[in-house]
Amino acid sequence: MNEFGAVLQARGLAKEHGQGQGLVRAVDEVDLDVPAGQMLAVTGPSGCGKSTLLHLLGGLERPSRGEVRLAGRRIDALSERALARLRRRSVGFVFQAFHLVEELSARENVELPVLLAGRSPRAAKKRAAMLLERVGLADRARHLPWELSGGQRQRVAIARAMANEPAVLLADEPTGNLDTAATLDVLRLFEGLRAAGQTLVIVTHDERVAATADRVVSMRDGAFVDDTRLAGHATGGLGEMFGLEY
Amino acid sequence: MGRILLVLRLVAADVRRHPAQAAMMLMTITAATAALSLGMSLRGTTDTLYRQTRAATAGPDVVALTPGGDKAATSALRSLTRAPEVTAHSGPHRQYYTTVTAHGLTSAAVAQGAGAAPGPVDRPLVTSGTWVRPGGVVVERGFAAALRVRVGDRVTVAGRSLPVTGIAVGAGHPVYPGAQMMGPGGGPSDYSGLVWMSEADTGPLAAAGLPVTSLLYLDLRDPAAAQEFVESRRQFGDEHQTNFFTWQFMAEDDARILRQGQPVLVIGSWLLALLAVGGVATLAAGRAAKQTRRVGLLKAVGATPGLIAAVLLGEYLTLALIADALGLAIARLAAPGLANPTASLLTAAAGPSDDTVAATTCVALAMAVLTTLGPTRRALRTETVSALADTARRPGHRPWLNGLSALLPTPLLLALRLIARRPGRAVLHAWSIAVMMIGATALLMARVQTDFDYGLGSSHLGNVQREQGHNVLLAVTAALAALAAVNIVTITWTTALEARPVMAIARTLGATPGQITAGLSAAQLLPTVPGAVLGVPLGLFLVLSLSPQNTVVPPTWWLFIPVLVAPLATAALTAVPARLAARRSVARTLSVETG
Repeated sequence: MNEFGAVLQARGLAKEHGQGQGLVRAVDEVDLDVPAGQMLAVTGPSGCGKSTLLHLLGGLERPSRGEVRLAGRRIDALSERALARLRRRSVGFVFQAFHLVEELSARENVELPVLLAGRSPRAAKKRAAMLLERVGLADRARHLPWELSGGQRQRVAIARAMANEPAVLLADEPTGNLDTAATLDVLRLFEGLRAAGQTLVIVTHDERVAATADRVVSMRDGAFVDDTRLAGHATGGLGEMFGLEY
Repeated sequence: MGRILLVLRLVAADVRRHPAQAAMMLMTITAATAALSLGMSLRGTTDTLYRQTRAATAGPDVVALTPGGDKAATSALRSLTRAPEVTAHSGPHRQYYTTVTAHGLTSAAVAQGAGAAPGPVDRPLVTSGTWVRPGGVVVERGFAAALRVRVGDRVTVAGRSLPVTGIAVGAGHPVYPGAQMMGPGGGPSDYSGLVWMSEADTGPLAAAGLPVTSLLYLDLRDPAAAQEFVESRRQFGDEHQTNFFTWQFMAEDDARILRQGQPVLVIGSWLLALLAVGGVATLAAGRAAKQTRRVGLLKAVGATPGLIAAVLLGEYLTLALIADALGLAIARLAAPGLANPTASLLTAAAGPSDDTVAATTCVALAMAVLTTLGPTRRALRTETVSALADTARRPGHRPWLNGLSALLPTPLLLALRLIARRPGRAVLHAWSIAVMMIGATALLMARVQTDFDYGLGSSHLGNVQREQGHNVLLAVTAALAALAAVNIVTITWTTALEARPVMAIARTLGATPGQITAGLSAAQLLPTVPGAVLGVPLGLFLVLSLSPQNTVVPPTWWLFIPVLVAPLATAALTAVPARLAARRSVARTLSVETG
């Protein structure tokens, strides 16, 4: 972490595709500081560069220019191997399409990052059981992804992302494939994580989801056009916001 | 008509979209059909080549040989010319048992006296130089090839140095090294070559007291009845020990050189076919997901099951038929050289028989149908919506294997889980390796068999039959190795393509590119070991069951060589595709999956 307490930091971050006439600036000179424990929502229309920004912050893509720091450590110049180790310990990803391993049960999916981090099968099992309990899916631990509803799959994905207690959780349209009730379940989980001090960056085009964050950054054509800190976020009002009982 | 055109257009479009896979399928089936066609037609090819040589050189219907070169012997032979069945004859000629030396190589040989103009029966065809003249020698082409002599070189016949004036091909003797036909004094024959000399030049051979046999070439009214003619002459008894060789016997005898090569080719072709089935099945399985989506699309626009089946099977059947034609063409080109390794016969094109064409076509079509029927049926049975969503064939859940893999280091964990996704592919892989090991074991077995050569005091004049067998075995093993290598690369690449999303997820969870590469390689290495371990005893069993009882088994440590080499070769072959797959952008892979 730097002197401002930012767990995630970007400076002059840019990602370009193509060249000459076909040059596309997916992310255009972005500066960003995400303090520890903050829930940041990145919003904007489709194709504005939200997902690319998230990939750059998590080290899944390399920037064309600029730098990214995670917990004070510059990550944009790290080797693939070092990036992998960093992701293993410090970054958790949640995707719109869940990206669970189809042939692994819910429990095995959550165990996977723990095993990749070199911990024992017993420790992995214990951690997975605890996380599935936390996301309310203890009774679905043996189910395969296709036997679960969309909301349940996303909860498994969140449990998996939290398996190694990452410094930051990056979520790319986590409710994009979910119905309202499932969206509410996921947001409740995020709410719980934030309450526990977890840093979250959520890319979403759903204004209602963005409204639950501490801070909302709007993007257009790869650049930030607005940065709003929400004084009183939607804690306690999620049900009303989504037209459901809370 | 419109429907057929539609099917053809869809098939052509699919081939255009997957040119590498189409080429791979063509190559694998071509190798199998070429080997099968060669194996089946070799015997017939030798026969055809002998008949062609016989026609071009006025080859005799019967050759009669009597020990000795005196008047009594020649009179006994001349009496045969008065038989009513005989229509023409040449000779009697004398053949002397001697040695020929050239370029430091010495071989037993028979030197046959010949006139400046050959008689009406047995007119050897001079393929280079000129026919015999005093002070020169004409060398039979197979013998010339073994001695590596050309026109103008000098050879030593019974201690006398003579220039080679010509090289010729005839049908009056079995192919090199079977020219002798009868040993000295009517005894058993030995391997030897053949040279022709002028009658004047054979004088010193007679003066030196070399063993001699008189021989007579006969043409019969009914060549097909040559054996009956021989039987009728034997009934009368013969104090001169006259021996007869019919043209049918010589044709049969010429094929003996292929006794080792032919079964190797036939068995090799079946092994190649099995490897080809493995390769094509992998290709078909690798494309199953795309095929299922394609079926969904076709169903959605109203295509009937029959039309869809025609489109799916059409591509593989068309490629199989093209591969069959290619294999037959290769066999047609290669057969004369293979059937005539000594060059003693005229080498002309000899096409495969109808039976051979039918057999290879059936095998090619069976390979295509067997390997594609399953995916095609699955695709047809899948509901349209499921097919479009590509949820038709989920990998199976194997908790015990997942549990076991959790105990292992990350690359092995990933490898076991990859195998668990498609265990059938691991079995195919192990099978490919086992088949390859059968070939390698056969090659090792061939290396340790005791050899004998035709040369006298020379280690360079090899045993043509064994050499031919070795060469064929080497070619078949090389083909098996090539196909096995193609299969390994195909399986690795197919696995890598299918596992892209899973590997990308593993990368997001912290697996390094090195671990992914090692995992993909290890997923191929793990089935290699049982395949190699199983293949060697299978090879031993196959070779020993087809070999004579005195077959030598190589030292045990020799047999471990292929078992050790197989995993190393697999690791080398899988390294590049695994590395390429591991380097693919995670973000792009996951985006494609999402999109």
